[in-house]
Parts: sequence; C-alpha cells; structure tokens
Amino acid sequence: MITQEEIKTEQGKVPYIEVKNLVTRFFTSKGIVKALENVSFKIYPGEVYGLVGESGCGKSVTSTSIMDLIPDPPGRILDGEIFIDNFNILSDLKSLAKIKVRSETDVKIKRNKSAIKRHNFILSKIRGNKISMIFQEPFLALNPTISIGKQISEVILLHNIIGMADSIIKRETMKTTDVDELLEQLAEINDYSMRKKIINQWTRNFGIPDLEASITSLLDHVTDQKYVAEQIAHMIEENQREINIDRIKEIRDYYTIERKIFELTLNQIQFERTGEIKKAQEAKAKIRAYKAMSKKKYFKLRLEMRFFSKRVLAIFHKEARRRVLELLTLVNLAGPEVVIDEYPHELSGGMQQRAMIAMALASNPKMLIADEPTTALDVTTQAQILELIGELNKVMGMSVLFITHDLAVIAEMCNKVGVMYAGNIVEETTTEEIFNDPKHPYTVGLMNSLPRADKKREKELKFETIPGNVPNLITPPPGCRFHPRCKFAMDICSLKKPKLTEVSENHKVACFLYSNESEDDVA
Amino acid sequence: MELKYYIIRRLLVLIPTLLGLLLLTFILLDALPKSFLIEQFVNHKLPIPAQNLEKQQAITTLGLNLSPPEQFLIYVNNLIHGNWGFMYPNSEGYGSYYSGPVLAGIMEYFPVTLEIAIFAVIFSIVIAIPLGTYIGSKPNSVSDQVGRVFSLSGYAMPTFFLALVLQIAINPYFPSFISGQGYPSYTHLSWIKSISGTEVSTPTHMLVFDSLLHGDFSLAAVAFGHLVLPVLALSYGFLAGLLRFIRAGMVDASNQEYVKTARAKGVPEKQVLRKHVRKNALLPSITVFGLVFSGLLGGAVVIEEVYDLNGLGRFGLSTVSGGYIQFFGILGTTLFFGIVLVMANLIVDVLYALMDPRIRY
Ligand SMILES: Nc1ncnc2c1ncn2[C@@H]1O[C@H](COP(=O)(O)OP(=O)(O)OP(=O)(O)O)[C@@H](O)[C@H]1O
Ligand code: SF4
Ligand SMILES: [Mg+2]
Repeated sequence: MITQEEIKTEQGKVPYIEVKNLVTRFFTSKGIVKALENVSFKIYPGEVYGLVGESGCGKSVTSTSIMDLIPDPPGRILDGEIFIDNFNILSDLKSLAKIKVRSETDVKIKRNKSAIKRHNFILSKIRGNKISMIFQEPFLALNPTISIGKQISEVILLHNIIGMADSIIKRETMKTTDVDELLEQLAEINDYSMRKKIINQWTRNFGIPDLEASITSLLDHVTDQKYVAEQIAHMIEENQREINIDRIKEIRDYYTIERKIFELTLNQIQFERTGEIKKAQEAKAKIRAYKAMSKKKYFKLRLEMRFFSKRVLAIFHKEARRRVLELLTLVNLAGPEVVIDEYPHELSGGMQQRAMIAMALASNPKMLIADEPTTALDVTTQAQILELIGELNKVMGMSVLFITHDLAVIAEMCNKVGVMYAGNIVEETTTEEIFNDPKHPYTVGLMNSLPRADKKREKELKFETIPGNVPNLITPPPGCRFHPRCKFAMDICSLKKPKLTEVSENHKVACFLYSNESEDDVA
Repeated sequence: MELKYYIIRRLLVLIPTLLGLLLLTFILLDALPKSFLIEQFVNHKLPIPAQNLEKQQAITTLGLNLSPPEQFLIYVNNLIHGNWGFMYPNSEGYGSYYSGPVLAGIMEYFPVTLEIAIFAVIFSIVIAIPLGTYIGSKPNSVSDQVGRVFSLSGYAMPTFFLALVLQIAINPYFPSFISGQGYPSYTHLSWIKSISGTEVSTPTHMLVFDSLLHGDFSLAAVAFGHLVLPVLALSYGFLAGLLRFIRAGMVDASNQEYVKTARAKGVPEKQVLRKHVRKNALLPSITVFGLVFSGLLGGAVVIEEVYDLNGLGRFGLSTVSGGYIQFFGILGTTLFFGIVLVMANLIVDVLYALMDPRIRY
C-alpha cells in the first residue's frame, strides 16, 4: 500500500501503466457504440487504482483495451496510447487497419495482416507476463476441459522458460562446496528465525524449495557438522535427476535468442514511431540476422519442439508443476496437491477465483487487472478474495487496476479512484478525497445512492437515486454526457465537453462547475 | 476408475434400450400381414384341402395362434438363441438371392457395409476436423462461405445421385475404381484357404483388412481401389454434417470467456485455436456423431445398390424387392441396424466421457 504522502510525491515516479486519450468503439449493425471517449489515467507501481461507475459506463472496455483484447469485430481501439512498462502497445495502431466510416452503420475496415501478426507477437509476450487479468466470472474464465494445474503451468511455460532453465542448471550442478557455504553462514548465527530465513533463501536460490523443511529439521536436530553436510549433499543428489544439462542449456539459449528478437522488435517499433528510420532499419536487420541464426543453429531443436514439444520440454513441465504447487499455496488454496489435477467444475467459485489469481501471478507480473473479481461470489468469499488481492499488493508490490461498482470495496482496497460515466473518466482523486469531498455531480449522486456505514452521514441516510438512465452510447448526449441527468446543468454543458482538469491537489474533475476547460477548445 | 464405472453403467443402460428395440421390431412384425408369410409354406400345386392343411400347420409352427405376449417371449428367446428366422427360396424363382438362416446372411453381408462405413468415417473425420477448425476460426470469410456451400450441398444431394455422378464422371478415367467388375473374389485366393486347404481364413471378413493381415498388399490396394468411389459417395453427407457441427462449435467456443483468458495469458493465436478452442469445439460434434452415423448407414443401402456391393444394405433391400417379402429378413436387418446404432452411440458416449472431464460419475 502506498501512503497518501507517497502519492503526493509521485510526480517524480514513472507510471507502470499510462493510458492516454483512449478511444474505443464498437461498430455494430445498430450503429457505432462510442464506448470510450478520451480516457486517460496513470497507475504507479504498487498502487491500487479503483475504477468505479454504473453498469455499461465502459469499465470493462477500459480494462480489455489495456490488454488489447477488445473483440474485433465488432470493436476497435481507434486512437490513444497505452504505455505498459514504458512501451506503447498502440505504437503501430495506425498501421493495423484502415477504417472508412461512410455512415453510422456502414463501416469498412481493412486489416493489415502482416502488421497484425507482428502486433500479436508482441502482445503475446506482454500479456500474462508484464500484466495479467482476472475476470468477473471465474467459472466462465477457466477452460472447462483443461486441468487447473495445466492452465496455470501454461503461463509459466510461455513466459518463464529461461528462468526455469537457470534454476534447473543451478540445482543440477550443485556441489558440496555450496553446502559448506551454507553451513559456514549458519555457524555464526543463533537466532532461529534468521537461520530459517537463510535456509529459505539458500534453497530458493538453488531451486530446491521442497527440500527446505527436511534441511531445516536436520540442522535443528543434529549437531555433527560433518554428518549434516553429508546428509544434505545426499539429499540434493537424490533430488537431482538424470538430466542432460547441455540440452537444457541449448533450450535456454534458444529462448534467449527469441527474447532478443522480441526486444529488438520493440525497439524497431519505437524507432518507427519516432521517425528514426535508420535505427529502425538497423533493428530490423538485426532481427533478421538473429532469426536466420536461430533457424540454422537450432534447426533440429525447433523441429523437435514443433512436433514433440511436450517431450522436449518435459523437464520444464515438471519444474512448472512445482511452481504451480507453490502458487496454489500462495493463494491459500487448500490441498494444492489435489486441486492441481482437478478441473474447474470441481472447485467452488471462491476456489476458482483463487486459481485464476494463481494463474495471473504465475509469471510475476507487476500489474494485475481485476475486473469485478468478486461480483459472482458470496459475501464471505468476497471478503477473502479481496483480502488476498490486498495482500498480494502489499507483499509483492504489485499494482492493481481494480474495477467495481461497489464504493465500499473501493474504500477498502484502493489508493486512488477514477469515476467513469458513459465512456469518460469524470473525476479522479485519492480514496480519501472521493469520500470526503466528492466534486462531480455524478460522483455525489453515486455517493448518495449507496447506503453507507460512514458515521458522519448515517443520520441523514437517504437513498437519492440519480434520475434518468445511463445514456445510449450510440447517440450519446452532446457536450457533457451527464447533462441530461445533472441537477446543476448549465447552458454550456450541452454545448461543450468539459475536460478532466486538476482543480485541487491530486483531484481532477471534468465539470464546468469547477473549471472552464473544455476538450473541444483544444481540438 | 470413474470411467470404468461409467462404462459399466452405460452397458447396463444398454439392456432396456435393446429390449425396447426388440419390442419395436416385434410390433413391426405383428403389424405385417401374415397371409404372405403363411403362403410361403404352402405348395400351390397341391389340391386346396391339402393347401389349407399346410396353412394350419404353418400357423402352429410360426406360433401365430398364440397370444402376442407369448409370441414376444418366443421371439426374444429365438433371437437370443441365434434363431433369427429363415429366408425361404422363392418358389417362382425370382426375388431374393439369399436363402438360408437370416443371422448367417447378415453375418455374411455385414462386413462389406462395415468396411465402407469404417473408411467413410475415417475419411470424414480426417477431413472434417482440420477443415472445420479452419473455417470455424474465420467465420464469414470467403473460405467459410465456400465451406457452407460445400456442406449444404452435401446435405441436400441424395446419396444415390452423387454415387451415379461419381460413377459416370470417373469411370472413363479410372475403370478400376468401379466395384461392379473385377472385384476380387474371396474364393480364388490361395491364402484364404488354411493349410489343410479346406478352412477359409478371413478373420475380419473385410477384404482390405484380410489381405493386409495376410501381407497381400497388392490385393489390398486393388480392393481399396474398388472402395474409393463408394466411400467418397457415402462420406459426403456425413462429412457435410460433421463439418457444420465442428464449424458451429468453433464459432461458439471462440466466443467463450476462457478464450479471452487464454489470450490474456499471452498464449499465441495459433495455440489458442489448437489448445483452447478446438477441443471444446469438438465436444458437441462428438455427441452428434451417433446421429449423423445413422444417416451414413441409410446411405449405405443405396450406395451398395449403385456400386454393386453385396453389403447389408443390399441384403435388406433384397428382402422387400422382387415382389416377394422376406419377413424375417426385414426384421433381422432392422434389428441388426438398430443394434449397430445403439453400439455406435455407446462408443460415442464413452468417447465423450473420455474427452470431457465434466462427464462421468
Ligand atoms: N462486444 C461489444 N459489442 C458492442 N458493444 C459493446 C461490446 N462490449 C461492450 N459494448 C458496449 O460498451 C459499453 C461499455 O460496456 P462495459 O462492458 O465496459 O461496461 P461496464 O462498465 O463494464 O459495465 P458492467 O458494470 O455491467 O460490467 C456498453 O454500452 C456496451 O454496450
Ligand atoms: S459539466 Fe455541467 S452537466 Fe456536466 S456534470 Fe458538470 S454541471 Fe453537470
Ligand atoms: Mg464489466
């Protein structure tokens, strides 16, 4: 959790996610649904950002746009920038497709297949790796015909082969001197918890976390150092399998080249975007050289991977399984050894969501998008899942984009809140501010429409609903989209669109009551 | 473990199903006019009183004087004991070309049908799965439209028509594909006789498989060549049906949340299709497999007539053609086709349980 102080000083920090002027539309037979209209926000490392708003205001579209998972057809991101860890995934947006809008219902989209292919390649390395997502209905979001363990290990096998190869090599090439080092280190320390920590680190470092318990108990109960050293060495030896280290190194090197190609592709795209044609071409030439090299050097491996990938990567499958067990324990799933081989329908809703979270964590992403993760669950389970997400944020420093329509959950979970209305963010501030000093008339309405446990307001508890309905996004109201329902609507409100502007420290509002700035003025 | 119990339970369910089938065929039998049957036992050259006597005898031997429940029990008892009735030679000398016990006849003719059915099923599946996956992953694309036309014409075209068209179109170029002439006969083959020279060694009764088992590859090739056209003609409708179902399954599965999850995990597009969409798309297709299979058996009846194959379809047809009705032949064929279908459905159910972890218990 970030404290209020930290948020104030965030100016110097680099956001992990930055969304700028995002425009997403759906081209349906009834007309163009203008689902997102210039949405911008930033999420900093370690922050929990809450996105709140009525049903249909575009929260899910926002989160799916960040993953670039808008179903196409009918949807498309038309404009904007989405920086994930400093890379704009929409860099090549303009080259992906040409869109000709003849009328509301007559739209021609011409997709550029090769550009889309490159785009998909890059995104497949970002999704699930740098950023992952959990969904509202875990039962629908899990594949019914694949076991939980396999669904989770799929992520690890996709993104973490190199890491796994390193830890396998480390484990398999362990020497007795490594054990001696541990014993030396421990010799000077008497503090029990400190010793435990060292053993934990050491076992983790060598990729043998499953030996931690037995090594600890051995060290606790036996004093003869020589005997202990022998025993540990024996344990490690037993744990080592007959593995062809060269093979693993080969696979690691192959994947390292693949990663290089990916990084170079990112560079290439960035250079293309900034107009540095020469550098872009250089990157392209390098990519080609690497590809040719990989094709020649790893011809056999590639062939084998293509047809017998299961057998070639068998060791990695085993290693991934270990990691899955760890993950299942991390998300507090009871009986991970059983759950790992079960299918989604055999788990309860809460367990399914925990499995989803384990899957999202599988490759240690720095960012988690949670789209109403608890709506489909009962109240107690809801609380547990929220607690788990909060904990992951605290312990692992993971940023979270938390989507909900429940203000109570926002109060509990988030540092910062964005309020959405009909495809726009209309107010953005810290959680404290939003409850103490809501500014936008829509936010005020939201606050009043919910029963609150807040003592200050309990006496005057009244359920004021906001009059009217969420507008139709095919023909949204002009100007401020909230004006037909707003108590304070002025003449200008139906003419111009208010811009999200900072009206006090860390408090942005898009409303003419607070600022005269309009989006239309800029354009 | 669970699968074993599932299969046992499915086998138990088979008993009432088969009983139902027996009852149905029995009712069919009861509904048929008996005079035809009785006439077969009468020598029309005898004087009328003698004929009447023979009629009375026939009624008692056939058990027609008993009550229907008694008749049913006798019917079931006879079936269980392998007594499926008898096909009588026609006194006028035309009509059915098989005479003898019905069950033996079915066993003699069925392998031919089974053989083309096996090849048709294999062929259809091998084509339908990749093709259905492909067009299903690109709904409304040009290839999807082509696929749609292909499968709709497969639905609409009568099997015999396609069979004839193939026969006419291909005959001039590949005469060896035509089954009628030159189909190798079992009796002339040396390996078919066992060492003693008398016994016939045809473990499967299907020429392609028998010759393969005996290592006679050239014969297998010839026999297979003769099956090409019937299998193609028979496959089309089946293939069309499967293709539609797989395509629909693909489109349906592609829109599921878990596919979005897979993409959100970073699974590359090709792998999404292969690992997440296709398996879920094939499941519903398996369930309709049994249904489409019945259509395939129906098609076999016509195909065998066109291509001059002595299969069970033709056998069944012969029991009603030629102005002479072979009661037991009709019943035996109906019953046997029924049993085959029930078995096919059993296999389909087990296959489904194997593929879908949500079934069983
Ligand atoms: N596939 C789609 N085709 C057409 N319109 C869509 C599609 N998906 C979303 N929309 C439109 O986008 C708008 C925003 O939808 P979105 O799902 O983001 O709402 P939400 O804020 O997540 O609501 P909820 O709280 O109900 O989940 C809606 O008006 C919806 O009609
Ligand atoms: S801009 Fe106008 S209509 Fe919109 S919220 Fe503010 S006062 Fe209401
Ligand atoms: Mg939603």
